Amino acid sequence: MRAGALAAFILRRLLVAVPMMACVAIVNFLLIRAAPGDPAQILMGDFPAPPGTLVAIRHAYGLDRPLWVQLATYLAQVAQGDLGYSFANRQPVAQLILERMAATLSLTVTALTLASVLGVLLGILAARRQGRWLDTLVQTVSLAGYSVPEFWLGQMLILVFAVWLGWLPAQGDASVRSLAPPGFLEKLSYLALPALALSVRYLALIARITRSSMIQALSSDFILAARLRGASELRVILRHGLRNAAGPVVSVIGTNAGFVLAGSALIETVFGWPGIGRLLYGAISQRDTPVMLGILLVVSLCVVLANLATDILQQVIDPRISR
Amino acid sequence: MNVVLGRRSFGVGAAALALAPLAARAEPATAVLVIDADPPTLNLGITTDYTAGDVCAKVLEGLVWTDRSYTAQPSLATSWTVSPDGLRYDFTLRQGVRWHDGTPFTSDDVVFTFSEILAKSHPRASATFRRVGAVATAAAPDKVTVSLKSPYAPFLQQLSVFDAPILPKHVYAGTDIAANPANQAPIGTGPFKFASWARGSAITVVRNPDYWGAPKPGLDRIVFQIIPQPASRITALETGEADFAPDFYLPKSGELQLMAQGKLQLRQGVNIPAVYFAMFNTATAPFSDIRARHAVAEALDRGRMVRQVMNGLATPGYGSFGDGFGWLTDADSAYAKLYPLEPAAAKALLAETGFKPDTKPRVLYDAARPQMVATANILRENLRAIGMDVQLVPLERSVLNDRVFARRDFEIALQSYFSAGDPAIGYHRIYQTDTSHAMLTNASGYSNIDVDRLLGAALSEPDRGKRAELYRQLQRILNVDIPSLVLFDEKTVDFASPRLAGLWPGLDPRDQWAGVSIAG
Repeated sequence: MRAGALAAFILRRLLVAVPMMACVAIVNFLLIRAAPGDPAQILMGDFPAPPGTLVAIRHAYGLDRPLWVQLATYLAQVAQGDLGYSFANRQPVAQLILERMAATLSLTVTALTLASVLGVLLGILAARRQGRWLDTLVQTVSLAGYSVPEFWLGQMLILVFAVWLGWLPAQGDASVRSLAPPGFLEKLSYLALPALALSVRYLALIARITRSSMIQALSSDFILAARLRGASELRVILRHGLRNAAGPVVSVIGTNAGFVLAGSALIETVFGWPGIGRLLYGAISQRDTPVMLGILLVVSLCVVLANLATDILQQVIDPRISR
Repeated sequence: MNVVLGRRSFGVGAAALALAPLAARAEPATAVLVIDADPPTLNLGITTDYTAGDVCAKVLEGLVWTDRSYTAQPSLATSWTVSPDGLRYDFTLRQGVRWHDGTPFTSDDVVFTFSEILAKSHPRASATFRRVGAVATAAAPDKVTVSLKSPYAPFLQQLSVFDAPILPKHVYAGTDIAANPANQAPIGTGPFKFASWARGSAITVVRNPDYWGAPKPGLDRIVFQIIPQPASRITALETGEADFAPDFYLPKSGELQLMAQGKLQLRQGVNIPAVYFAMFNTATAPFSDIRARHAVAEALDRGRMVRQVMNGLATPGYGSFGDGFGWLTDADSAYAKLYPLEPAAAKALLAETGFKPDTKPRVLYDAARPQMVATANILRENLRAIGMDVQLVPLERSVLNDRVFARRDFEIALQSYFSAGDPAIGYHRIYQTDTSHAMLTNASGYSNIDVDRLLGAALSEPDRGKRAELYRQLQRILNVDIPSLVLFDEKTVDFASPRLAGLWPGLDPRDQWAGVSIAG
């Protein structure tokens, strides 16, 4: 695809994303408001509120205004980049999300990278040894990996590697005891378990997709042709096999980026990782509507962008389109 | 062979990786304390949030603190006198105390905190202050007088840091109290100064070298590590990543596990009482009939609830005020005497009321609390045995509160109320007539003039012996009427690493950390 056409394609997709994000914001807003329960009472805690206090809180946060006024106000704010004010944290929502975004990105990007690299590698190995013990092993393990709930796996990893073996820390993203800023190795030791727990499901999925795509590609005529031309096995697999098998694999990685973000809510909670997943978990239990809406919007945006990136990548790598 | 070598070298490498940061540096005396979430605010004057109280109790102080025998001890007030009618409290304040920003602490701060913050915005204190008409005035920089319109027995106890933290006037005066930046970075007079708050991760306070107390604080730093998952908090104590966690943050099953391992220090037998109870809707059938309530009381296996729900860390319901306050229990009207476990008798009694088996009373409870879920299941099983098939209705907390208190749309509601250190503070609301439909009060519809009168008398009687007699009279009425049936009294266990010394002088495990140090 030529550069001009690619730019037009990206622009078109971005323009479609705007009304889509508006719809996401409206649906989320209405869904959360439709749920019963009173955020003002949750803010007050576990003792009877003095008369008038609840009324004052509802007024202060605009909860006493008609729903459509609240919705219109919210959309106008979001359009200006203001995600609102958190009831429970008494801070602007955008600031809360920004403070935690880096932690979530480091966790999810590491997990997704780990899943992609290992998944593709295992998929190729299994495809090359189709029907043999390595293939059976990869298939069985990936089926198990795909079926295991992430939070359970996280707790098992903590039990084995933190409690029994004592090799790796179980909580947080750095030692809270030490005054010095954490070094690279320390950071890595804290990242290892949550990233592994988060990646296993996608690693399994990617391995399975890579395997089936590779099997299909390796049985094609052009592979036979390449081998007859005397191309090395590595070149046959990477240049001809993987390139042709990559479409579905990239597509799976891209469409799952959003699920990885969503999965991080549980993993961050299990491992005390200070990211937006944790923030979302807390916001749900505290009925902190602005934070819930803000995070859902940011995650939706990430999904839209990830899908766009996937489509672009597809265009670039698919030999039938790129040539 | 290769595999074995590989695995071993990985093990050594990973161990070195995890230990290196600890071994290489000489660190200040630090204690890591478990908390469950970011507190909503660090202004303890406007919240009763447990975590906020945990952090702020190290930074802020009250006029007094409460020791393990429920007695007020001097903190920012060095001494006090109470007038014989219980309507006037004269406090002498500690001199030479400075706020963490260097400004001297005076009686102006106390008067400002009482009138502008606590009376207006503290969820618990504002209700108390309004009811007893508390007004604070300053006679001199070190003298404060608090006048009440009606006497209030636990008043001194409500002047601890958790209900009446003293805040700096020079920081808060003339500002929007709820939005003041000091709510994120509190300035107090306490043994530790606020240092940092890494949201979602940890809050750090550091030693206040100018603290008035002697000896000076024993720890250089306290780090409150946020661990959102209950099971992970147990793990953090097990692995030594955390040094301390009070009962509040820990699941009961995990507590048993830690106790069995025996590696940690623990405090048992000292706790601020809290009761779990079943509130009946006495305004509608079937529980408008007192015999139906008696039938339930005879059918419920409270001992089994203690074993299975609380892993033994509770005592079966003793009576309408539980057994947490030993000085007020009444053996003559105890549940054990009135309602021994007798399903057959209960079944006959229920039949007498004309209860129809196809009526399905609804049992409402908080779906997010494992203890409530387990209690509800035992309750259903016990009541099925006497011919009452209840319908379990697990709800999210805010929905539950709305259904039970605002709308009173239930037959049985499972609740737990915290006493906050005195039955008058936390338990009167279970039985006192309530027409306001306010949250966390008496939603049973039960209203008894004698009970209200006795509760009022127990609230204002300063003498504990006379108060105990009032509570015994109350139990003789309430244990028979049972608008709410106390199922069990929670017994707490706090855990600490053997590294720490000087723990637990106060009733509340979050209080009085100036004397805590690293052992040895």
